[in-house]
This record gives sequence, C-alpha cells and structure tokens, in this order.
Amino acid sequence: MTPADLRTALRPAGLVTEQPVGRSTAWWGVMLFIATEGTVFAALLGSYFYLRFQHGVPWPPDGIAQPDLRLPLVMTAVLVPSSLPVAWAEAGIRRGRRWQVRAGLLATLVMGGTFLGLQGMEYHENLREYTVTTNVYGSLFYVITTFHGAHVTVGLFMVCWLLAAAGRGGVSARRPEPVRVVAYYWHFVDAVWVAILFTVYLSPRL
Amino acid sequence: MSERVSSRAALVGGLLLWFAVLGGALSWAVHSLAAWSIDELACEAGHDDLAGVPLVGAIALAVLLPAAGATAALVVSVLAWRRLRPEPREDGDRATGRAHLLAVVGLWLNLLALAMIVFGGVAALVLPPCQR
Amino acid sequence: MPSSTAAARGTRPGPEAMASLTRHWAEAPSLRTWFGTVDHKRIGRRYLVTAAVFFGFAGASAVAMRTQLAGPEAGILSPREYNQLFTMHGTAMIFLFSTPMLFGFGNFLVPLMIGARDMAFPRLNAFGYWVFLFAGLFMWASVPAGAAPNGGWFAYVPLTDERNTPGLHLDVYTLGLLFLGISTTSGAVNFIVTALKLRAPGMSLNRVPVFVWAIVATSFMVLVALPVLNLDNALLFLDRRFDTRFFEPERGGNVLLWQHLFWIFGHPDVYIIVMPALGIVSAVLPVFCRRGIVGYPLIVFSIVAIAIISFGVWVHHMFATGLPQLSYGFFSAASTVITIPSGLQIFAWLATMLVGRIVVSVPFLFVVGFLVTFVVGGVTGVMFALTAFDQQTTDTYFVVAHFHYVLFGGAVFPILAGVYYWLPKMTGRMFSVRLGRWAFWLVFVGMNLTFFPMHVSGLLGMPRRVYTYPGGLGWDPWNLLATIGAYVVAAGLLLVAVGVVHALRRGAPAPDDPWGGDSLEWTTSSPPKPYNFPVIPRVHSLHPNWDPRTVESTGPGATEDRILAEGRTTLCTSELDGRYERPVEMPEETRKPLLAAVGLLMVFLGLLLAWYWVAAAGAALVIGTLAAWLWPPRRTPQEAGVAG
Repeated sequence: MTPADLRTALRPAGLVTEQPVGRSTAWWGVMLFIATEGTVFAALLGSYFYLRFQHGVPWPPDGIAQPDLRLPLVMTAVLVPSSLPVAWAEAGIRRGRRWQVRAGLLATLVMGGTFLGLQGMEYHENLREYTVTTNVYGSLFYVITTFHGAHVTVGLFMVCWLLAAAGRGGVSARRPEPVRVVAYYWHFVDAVWVAILFTVYLSPRL
Repeated sequence: MSERVSSRAALVGGLLLWFAVLGGALSWAVHSLAAWSIDELACEAGHDDLAGVPLVGAIALAVLLPAAGATAALVVSVLAWRRLRPEPREDGDRATGRAHLLAVVGLWLNLLALAMIVFGGVAALVLPPCQR
Repeated sequence: MPSSTAAARGTRPGPEAMASLTRHWAEAPSLRTWFGTVDHKRIGRRYLVTAAVFFGFAGASAVAMRTQLAGPEAGILSPREYNQLFTMHGTAMIFLFSTPMLFGFGNFLVPLMIGARDMAFPRLNAFGYWVFLFAGLFMWASVPAGAAPNGGWFAYVPLTDERNTPGLHLDVYTLGLLFLGISTTSGAVNFIVTALKLRAPGMSLNRVPVFVWAIVATSFMVLVALPVLNLDNALLFLDRRFDTRFFEPERGGNVLLWQHLFWIFGHPDVYIIVMPALGIVSAVLPVFCRRGIVGYPLIVFSIVAIAIISFGVWVHHMFATGLPQLSYGFFSAASTVITIPSGLQIFAWLATMLVGRIVVSVPFLFVVGFLVTFVVGGVTGVMFALTAFDQQTTDTYFVVAHFHYVLFGGAVFPILAGVYYWLPKMTGRMFSVRLGRWAFWLVFVGMNLTFFPMHVSGLLGMPRRVYTYPGGLGWDPWNLLATIGAYVVAAGLLLVAVGVVHALRRGAPAPDDPWGGDSLEWTTSSPPKPYNFPVIPRVHSLHPNWDPRTVESTGPGATEDRILAEGRTTLCTSELDGRYERPVEMPEETRKPLLAAVGLLMVFLGLLLAWYWVAAAGAALVIGTLAAWLWPPRRTPQEAGVAG
C-alpha cells in the first residue's frame, strides 16, 4: 500500500468500485445466518462476563476449582485444525475432485466426533464437582459448552449429509455451493470455540 | 467511468467508501459499549480504577479514541461526497450516483456519531463516574 | 452488458413465451398446491390475513380490559384473567401482529418493487409463514386453556421465575417467542438476500424504493436484535424448567441481566415495528402528492441511522433501576440524537406535501392520521429522554399513552394506509371509498379518545397494569372516555374489514395502476401473474413507472435475456449497482416447508408439556425434512462436471 495507491483509491474511479460484488444468494444466506448465530454467542459470552463481574470475586464461586486446562487445550488442538480438511475439500470441489471432497469431509467428521467425545469426558469429570444447578457458574459453564457442542453436532450432520450427497454426484464443480456453505458454517463453529476457550477456560485465570 | 485503476487501488477505494459510510457508526458502537461496561462494571465492583488506570482516564480513552475514528471517517466521507458528483443526466453513470448516495448517508451518519461521542464525553466531564 | 447490444433489441414476448412462462410458474388450484405454494404473493397475503386475525384476538383482549376499567371497582375480569389478557394483548400486538403484518407487505411487495419474480429463497419463505402460523396458534391456544403468559410483555424476573409464577404461563411465552423467532429470522435473511441480489438490472442502490430500504434495514435489525431476545428467553426457560441459576441472586445470578438483554432487543424492536410502516408512508404519501419524495438521500440516511443508533439506547428503559448516572449519560446522548433522523423523515414528508399537489384519497387520509398521532407520540417520547421526568412517569398510564400513540400511530395507521393502497394490486378489486372514509374517521377519533385521556390519568398517578382502581382519585372520567374510545376504534376497524370483504365480493375490477404510482409493482397487472413480470424491466431512475425509458424496456425494448421464458427463472444482479449477472433457477412448489414447520411445532409442544420424546421425534422430523429439502437433484456425471 503506497501513498500513490491511496491517492488513486480516493479518486472517483477508486471510490465507485463495487464491493461486495458477484456473490451468490447461497453465500449471502449463509453469511447472514452466521451473523445472527454469532450474535447469539456474543450475547451469551457477554452475559458470562456481565454475571461474572456483577458477582465479584472469587470466580468461580463456592470453592469450585479453576477450570482444568489440559483437556480443553487438547479439544482445541482437535477442533481448530479441523477447518483445514474442510477448506481442502472446498478446494477439491472447485476442481471437480470428488475423492478429495470425501477425504476432507471424512477427516472433519472424525475430528469433530473426537471433539464431542472429549467434551463428554470433560463433563464426566466436572459433573462430580458441580452441575448445571449448583450455581450461576455451573449454569454458565454447561449451557455455553453444550450450546456450542450442539452446533458441532449440527455441523457434523451437515458433513454427513454432504458425504451422502457427494456420493450421488449432486455436488459438483458447477454446483459447489453446498460444500462451500458447510465449510463456512464449520469455520464459524471453530471460531466460536476459540472465543469460548478464552472466555470460559482462560479468562478466569487472568 | 473511463479511468482505469489498479485492482489494489480499486479494492482500497471500495473499502474506503464503506469506511466513510460506517466508520463513525462503528466508532460510536465501540465507544458506547466500552464506556458503559467500564463504568457500570467497575462501579458495581466498588473499584475506581481499572487495572491501575483511574476510571476517569479509562473512560476518557473510551471517548477520545472513538472520537478520532469518527473524525477520520467524517473526513473521508466529505472527500468522497465532494469528489463523487453525479452527472445531472438521470441515466448518467449509475455507479457514481450510487457511491454519491452512500457518501451522503455516511457524511450525516458520521456527524451524528461524532455528536453522540462528544455528548458522552461531556457527561463524563460533568458527572463523577460512580454517582448514583 | 448483453442487453445493450442492438442485435438483441425489440423482442416483446410473443404468445409462445407467455404460455411457457405460465406453464413454468402457475400453480394449479388444488389442495396440494395450497399446502405447497412458494409464490411470494400468496404467502404475503397469508401473512397479512393471519396477522389480521391475531390482531383481532389482541384487539378483543383490549376491549375486554377497557370494559373492566370503564369504572372503578368493576368485577368483569378477575385479576388473573386481566394479567393474562394484558400480557397477551401486548405480546401479540408486538410479535404476532405488527412484525408479521409488515413482513406480509414486504413479502408481497419487495419482489414486485425490485422487479423480481419471487423471493431469493421461496421455500424458506413458505417455511417462515407456516412457523409464524403455528407459533401464533401455539401462543393463542394458551388463552382458552387458562395458561396464557401473565408477566407483562417484557416478563421481568424475578416476577416471572418458577417460584413467583408457577404453571405453564411463562413457558408458553418463552417457547412461543423462540418458535416465532425462527420465522422472523428466516424472513429477515430472505428479505436482505432478495433485495441485494434479485433487483432488476439498472436498479443501483440510489434507485431502490424507500419501502425496500426500510424492509432491508429492519431485517438487519432483526438479525442483530432477535438473537438477544432468543437467548434471554432460552435462559429463562432453562431457569424455570431445569433449575439453572442465571436469574437467581442467591446462587450468583442477576435479575438485571434479563432487563439488559430484553431491552437490547426491545428498543430496536420499536423501530423494527415502526420502520417498515414509515416505509409504507414513504411509498404512499408522494404518490398522492403527485411528485417524488423530497430528500430521498436523507430519508435513506435516516433509515440507516435509526437502524444503527437504536441499538445504543436500550438503557433508557432502565433509568429507574439505579445504575451509575454517568452510564445513563451515554444512553441519554444516543436517545436524544436518534430524534434527529426520526424528525428528518417527518420534515421530508411535510415538504413533499408542501411542494406537491395533494389528492385526498383514503390511503392519504390514513397517512395524515399517522403523521398527527405519531408526532404526538414522538413529543412524549422526547420527554422520556430526560431521566428526571422518566423516573416520575415510569410505570404509569402516561407511558401507556405514549407508546400507543407511537405504535398505533406509527404502525396501525400506515398499515391501514397500505391495506387501502395495495388492495387493488393484491386482489384486483377497488374498494368503496365511502366505507373507507367512515372507517378512517372512526379509527382516528376513537384512537385519540382512547389514548389521549391516558396521558392525564397517568400524570394523575394511575399505574399501568392494575385490573381495577378505587373511585374518587380523579381517574374515573378519563377511564370512561378511554373505554368509549376503545369501542369507537373497534367499530372503525370492523368497517375496514367490511370494506375489504366488500371489495372482494362487489368491488369494481382494478386497473393496473389506479393511483399513478411510481414503483415497479404498478407496471404489472392487478393482481400480478404468478411470474410477476412477463419482462423483467431495466430500471433507469428512482421512479421507474414515471420514466418512459424504463417503461419502454418492458415493451418495445424487451430483450430475450430479460424475458427468460424457458424455465422457472429470475435474474441475479450485482449487489450495489444492479449489474446484470446471470439468470437463476427458482424452486417449485413443495410441502416440505410445511412438514418442517410441523416438526418444529412438535419440538416446542414437547418442550412445553415436558413430553421430551415428542420433542425428540419432532427434531428428527425437522432434520430429515431439511436433508430431503436440500437434497441436490440427480444429474449425470457429465452434467455435474466431475472428473474423478
């Protein structure tokens, strides 16, 4: 970005550049859906901070230990990289490589499934200490993580659907939209997990 | 539009127009969320500082930084508004007409946003942060 | 651009093309298509009729309440019944009448106004309607069951937690609104994508009708505001049913969280209701002033500004809750500034009337009724921006008077103006002008007679939401006046309904353009054919129907690439400048949206009645239906372009 570029950009010919442009209806649909879902999560995590600061110290309350970080970090290491095979599958559909789509989606399916399994293990551990009814901290912890887990589950349903549809040849280089939509949704679910990791697991230690 | 510009300059130009439209509103959103949550949560917790920074200073930051952002957006929108004169002919280049409309919308939006941030700043000057 | 080449010029669609269009778009009149229609015009009309029926229920609740309040110490309604009626009145008027009614107008009009053949996602549109219908029935069915919501339309905790309000009442509220939210959200996504991608070629953003701007801005507000309400309701449901502790102070929860989340949604919602209604005014008023609206760019600015700033004013509903005064200051600033764009629209309309040549028709009368009442509501609204005054009048009848002036004035009058204005287009029939004028005067006089006295009783200290009151406090005459007014309004609204039925039965056939309107819906037949436009127009100005070049583009200037008779097809254009991109296939009728909505109904009924296996079965039905709905059509590998 040079100053000359900036000057050109501020000329009428630069300012009238149409942006965004040429997106499909499906692209807009999934983006708006993600925006509204993102607002739910933003409000939910905002409520976490609101309740936490209104509550005051100590947080977590009632002698509950700080969240253990080992398992969540493993979960992160499983879920966040699962965006890569989806992106790879999306690249594959554009070139019409159906095997690449299938391989990428299968990898995502395995990683997402592992994540849910690890979450189950974590719940098994935590439920001995506190439950959703113990106090507001328990309510927040379980509701936030379960809500996210439900989104992962929905994402996995989508991946399964896509695997089945791709098997029938309904997804193709000319119609890459379904793969793209699922990919965007999956990236979104991953990004939300990062926000949750920060809010629920890391921020109490700050 | 006969003039050709490089694709990078075009990209920046398109983004700058959106900054001219929404920059002020975004700055104001940052201002009101930051200033309100700092004030309400710190006072609720009985603090008059935020990690060492006095509360008044934190609120001042939450006023001044967004005000700078809104001013920048205002400048860009005025520039865009002056440069994008639509041709008088009804069916002149419609991209210019569209961009001009967006610039006008942005210009007024930025003014309102700046006004709201300034009013918030005035309130912060007058009222002690935790008075109920 | 292909259409500008001289070679493709001058092909008005022949009889063959017309027959092909009809074959691809028409729905045979059968029960199958009745349940499976995806035609935005039929869906739009259904939205309007269903919302009008819910309006009738909510209005009847209001008349019952006013009858109870006509004099002191009346015993027509018990306190329990009164609580349920005022809660359902408010909840239904806001969620089941205003927004769906305006979405109904949007559904019918947006594709017509932008020159498209349907919404961007027609099946999602049908789904949205069915969900709205079921959610409305879900909530209203609780009234005869004696389990209607009873915590006021904003349902503050701790009043509404399990301890203080046992029973299903609030579960109906939380689940009903969550259910309805699915419909509203899908509708909003559909409006935005439709308006961004399906505009007729040439319709750059500076040529988009104000009504479409208003619907799109409203939809953006819905997408940001509604999730917050949904979260709030979900948390309350979890607290009540599964003993979570979000709103329970003894276990670390916080009751103010409910209020914050509710009003983050609630104040934008006022504009979600009013904005499309203002859009109707901006569509109707200039036509009867015989000129384009004054200050179009400023009106667009005002719409965008309101959509944004309305998110920064929510705390002004909570000036009485004891937060730090400085934090009130930030919200006072926004609450004061937001009056500027609102006022701007009023002045733009006044200026349009001033420089135009006014034709006093029935829709115009309702627009004037709107202007008068809305300004009164606006004036009392500005008064609340003063924290000190707000704290004196909060929870009194003064507030009731204020928001009825805003909502009755700001939503009901424009809606009625819209009903009369577009009735010829929707039904192909003209209405009786005499009936319309009578209806207007009854509604206008009755409305003021009902709500003006409430200012006085409010200033005299009468609290809202009391089921009765003792005599001798100076409130009696004002309450009696208000009750008489309520009956007058009811009579006027009944006349509106009579007028619509009369038009349908006896009305003269309507011409395509009875008012000399400027937007694209008046360029097509009344009622429009299933495909809306035989030729998708090429738009050359903000007032396409007053612009000979646009009119020519659908006649002698028609081109093959805008007729698109081979298939069920409409046009995709670019987002900002409306450049021609490509034709897109539109889906045909299907009953899967209905099936998915039935599945959702099972989910919510199951949750309400704690029959969780029903909810699970419903969820399975929804997932299965969606999978089948989205299932790609079978194609050969060559056609699909697969290499390996």
